[in-house]
Amino acid sequence: MNELEDIKLKAFLQNMELEKPGSGFTVQVMNKIFEEDSALEQIKSERILGKGFWIISILFVMLLAAIFVVSNTGMQADSQIGQLLPEAGQGLTQSYDSFFSKLGTLPLSIAGITIAVSVLIFIDKIIASNSKIFA
Amino acid sequence: MEQKDDIYYIEKVKAGQTNYYSYIVERYQDIVFSIAMKVLKNREDAEEMAQETFIKAYKSLHTFKGTAKFSTWLYRITYNNCISEVRKRKMHFASTDDVQIADEADEMNLDGIPEENRAQAIKAAMDKLPEDEYTLILLYYFEEQSIEEISKVTKLSESNTKVKLYRARKKLYTILNELMKDELYTIL
Repeated sequence: MNELEDIKLKAFLQNMELEKPGSGFTVQVMNKIFEEDSALEQIKSERILGKGFWIISILFVMLLAAIFVVSNTGMQADSQIGQLLPEAGQGLTQSYDSFFSKLGTLPLSIAGITIAVSVLIFIDKIIASNSKIFA
Repeated sequence: MEQKDDIYYIEKVKAGQTNYYSYIVERYQDIVFSIAMKVLKNREDAEEMAQETFIKAYKSLHTFKGTAKFSTWLYRITYNNCISEVRKRKMHFASTDDVQIADEADEMNLDGIPEENRAQAIKAAMDKLPEDEYTLILLYYFEEQSIEEISKVTKLSESNTKVKLYRARKKLYTILNELMKDELYTIL
């Protein structure tokens, strides 16, 4: 294959028409780029520690404080149940007592944290579903 | 000249003037789309892949240092995209051994192709080339990329690129010869 043929082939190929994309190709690419850019800017502008974080943190501290107070004063579940549910059946009263007696075997701090986490997850879900209100 | 122009637009884009990227897209869309079209054989898919290529290049623009040609860098992204798409679809990336090279391939006289049919004949022959060879020929002859640049795009060694290019050129001549014979038969 000589060099002259190679040069000719180059000339031939450079005259070849390439496949062309649709007329709006550049616009489509640029639109996608602008969309991605604005999405990125939005993420950058969002504060990592938003209002939701502070609300949850405050509630968590409040719950811990409440648990601390309750653990100091003690919870008279056995004596209060009769007053709270005077008309409740004996079965219900027994199961209630049994639940709290079993719960009482757990360290109070663990039980408190478990309850607090459950409440916080619930609040977080509420905040996430109403993100526009809390934003 | 081409190199300087590309760098000019890229610097503008890097400086935050995203609009300038449209010049890059305009300049390279045909070749990127042609390669995508050759691999995927479907206009919609090829457009989607070409778009993806430009968006990927835009996102990685900060990694482009300007030590190599921008076109080489862009073709590398295009080539990689094609390969991963082919793998994803479990398609066959046609290789050198798919078409038998004829002995008379060396004797091809391009002047023998009637002038009015040349563009058409070359296009038809290129269409018959396997994807990898089509890309090599396109980059070497159409885009005037050097062997070194093509080896960067394809991640082949320079010697391997030379061999592949030689075989691709012979194959192109073989296909052109066959096309010319067919044309002669139809005339006769």
